[in-house]
Amino acid sequence: MMKSGFARMTGVVSVAAVLLSGCTGAGGNEKQGASAGNAGQKVTLKAIMEQVPDSDIVKKMVADFNKENPNIDVNIEMLPYDQIRDKIVTSFLAPSATYDLIVVDNPWMNDFASAGYLEPLEERVKAAGADYNYQDFSAPLRGIGEVNGHTYGIPFYNYALGLIYRKDLFEKQGLKPPSTLAELRQDAKLLTTGDQAGLAMQPQRGYKIFEEWANWLYAAGGAIQDNAGKITLNSPQAREALTQYIQTYKESAPKDSLNWGFDEALRAVSGGKAAMMLSYNWMLPALNDKGGQAGDLAGKFGLAEVPGGKSVLGAWYWSIPANTKNKEQVWSFIKWITSPQHEKQRVIAGGAPVRNSAMDDSEVQQKGFGVEYYKTVKAILKNAAPLGNSLNAEEMVQTVGTELSQAVSGQKSVDQAIADADKEAKDIINAKK
Amino acid sequence: MRKNKSSGGRRSVSLSLPYEWRMLLPLLIVMVAILAYPLLYSFWISFRNIEITKPHQNQFVGLVQYAKVWQDPAYWNVLKNTFGFVCMAVSMELVLGMILALCLKNMKRYRNVTRAILLTPMFITPIAVGLMFRYLLSTQLGLVPALLHLFGISIDFFSANMALFSLSMIDVWQWTPFMLLMLLAGLENLPEEPYEAARVDGAGSWYILTRITIPLMSPVMIVAVLIRALDAMKVFEYVYAITRGGPGTATETLQYYVYKTGFGYYNLSKASAVAWTVVIFVMIVLILILWRSTRGEQR
Repeated sequence: MMKSGFARMTGVVSVAAVLLSGCTGAGGNEKQGASAGNAGQKVTLKAIMEQVPDSDIVKKMVADFNKENPNIDVNIEMLPYDQIRDKIVTSFLAPSATYDLIVVDNPWMNDFASAGYLEPLEERVKAAGADYNYQDFSAPLRGIGEVNGHTYGIPFYNYALGLIYRKDLFEKQGLKPPSTLAELRQDAKLLTTGDQAGLAMQPQRGYKIFEEWANWLYAAGGAIQDNAGKITLNSPQAREALTQYIQTYKESAPKDSLNWGFDEALRAVSGGKAAMMLSYNWMLPALNDKGGQAGDLAGKFGLAEVPGGKSVLGAWYWSIPANTKNKEQVWSFIKWITSPQHEKQRVIAGGAPVRNSAMDDSEVQQKGFGVEYYKTVKAILKNAAPLGNSLNAEEMVQTVGTELSQAVSGQKSVDQAIADADKEAKDIINAKK
Repeated sequence: MRKNKSSGGRRSVSLSLPYEWRMLLPLLIVMVAILAYPLLYSFWISFRNIEITKPHQNQFVGLVQYAKVWQDPAYWNVLKNTFGFVCMAVSMELVLGMILALCLKNMKRYRNVTRAILLTPMFITPIAVGLMFRYLLSTQLGLVPALLHLFGISIDFFSANMALFSLSMIDVWQWTPFMLLMLLAGLENLPEEPYEAARVDGAGSWYILTRITIPLMSPVMIVAVLIRALDAMKVFEYVYAITRGGPGTATETLQYYVYKTGFGYYNLSKASAVAWTVVIFVMIVLILILWRSTRGEQR
């Protein structure tokens, strides 16, 4: 079996190497003439997407797209998160792309773009004109898709973090959503009674704990990277944030929840076992959905900005792989699905918004989840920053997330974990430059 | 076949190879293609600097990757975790397997049925076992913590101190049957004479076990432990399905580290280097043990 492990690995590697030598330099320079010549024929685009409700919404909209574009079929393959990145990378390395249309998670953007695997889109965006209104996308979201002065991804949906809390429990105690870390810790402690935890936390090693803790870091006035991209984790603010985080975990998180991630926290909150969680803003409508997971508690949840007001931003992007032959058709679809008009349609159907115009739209507010919700989401998006936006962000995020987890589980002291996280993150970022 | 050799070798085209090599050839070709080639290829790239996200970078860097691995504290930590896991799992499997094998051997009725039932865990794919235990042991949903709760016991099976132990117990659950199978076969092949002689001399059952059965069984036990230990070293599925190496780095094992480095961080060369350190280590252990055991037999 160990050998077969190697075989598996080297299999991919050999594919990789053949291609690496084969397509050096050929990266982004496909001839556009070829695809233009195909315009009259029917083309099937193979798309890969994550198995999430937002993808389902897009899938349902494909029929509408086909009414306007009968010659372009979009065949969507949906996979769990763990599998899609490997599949996408394999497709990049293949002589001809397995997938014509891909979605890119924000930590992958810089790596994929810098390696030349993604098609630059700025010319096409410009050609789409004022109607398309690219500036309408929330600014922090646009920032992630732009690497070294080129646009490689168009925002698909956001997963910025907000504070989801039980309105009824807060009212009973006469509380308002916490706006500082101290208030958060205090409220969480106050709401911890019996088998109800104040705050369902997600200290699972890797992305999850970093995603949650970074909100603490922002609230304490710290930052992951400065404007020049230099790692600034070794700061008093970071140590304070981690100390507070651990204290809050000890006082108010559910018992034995060191390995908890998104699913577990959601289960605790929807089952009435926790009063708050820091989670994706679009969990609110799901929780308040009558007949949804929360059962009788539906309608009792509220969404607020995270304490401190600056939250961790996550987002998915539409991108065109450099090695697909059908770039023009793929762009037709991306342009269509992200246009102001269809963004509106997508958001009304329950999709997470990325355009300011959609969040301001009265029809969206009315048919969607109400004025209050979209106002909060817009405010969250306005002041949000991703965990990592440089080369090798994925490795940096995982490494820092491991150090944080070691501090929370008591394997390292706060000072040690912060110092190590800072050093390792610097090594990772610098090694790649 | 019949006359080939005796008739002095009628030569035809492409058959200049000896008969046995010709028969082996198809298998050899397959082995080279799917085993030797990828293995050597991974050896080759462990001396280069190939990264998936850097398509233009592919140079010979000598032992740089190995030096990086050597200096990486994470590598020593995964080695420690892996050996901890192997020791806990295999020793437990050996003891349990031996007890079960002795019981089964003395069983008069329903022996085959019992054996078949005991073997079932082996036939479940490990990733499914991982997921199964992830939910069984989950503090939020799990049956086991809920039952323990009835007795006022509260254990977090995946806390920093417990997680590696819990994973090794899952391995015990799944692979003790393998140990049982090997040891039972060994027990059934033991000669009867020493036992008869011992009984005539009035030896007790504990004496018989420690002075006759275990010494006679030791070659079988060595092989069984070896196979299990090598197999346990490649533990990946439980880690992947349950803890992803956490909390902290408490359950990060070698194979998970290779996976993380190669596929998670795109660094194929470093991943190959790590993998090759394992190959070298395993070779050394194997050669030593086999050399010792053959020397023992010759005496």
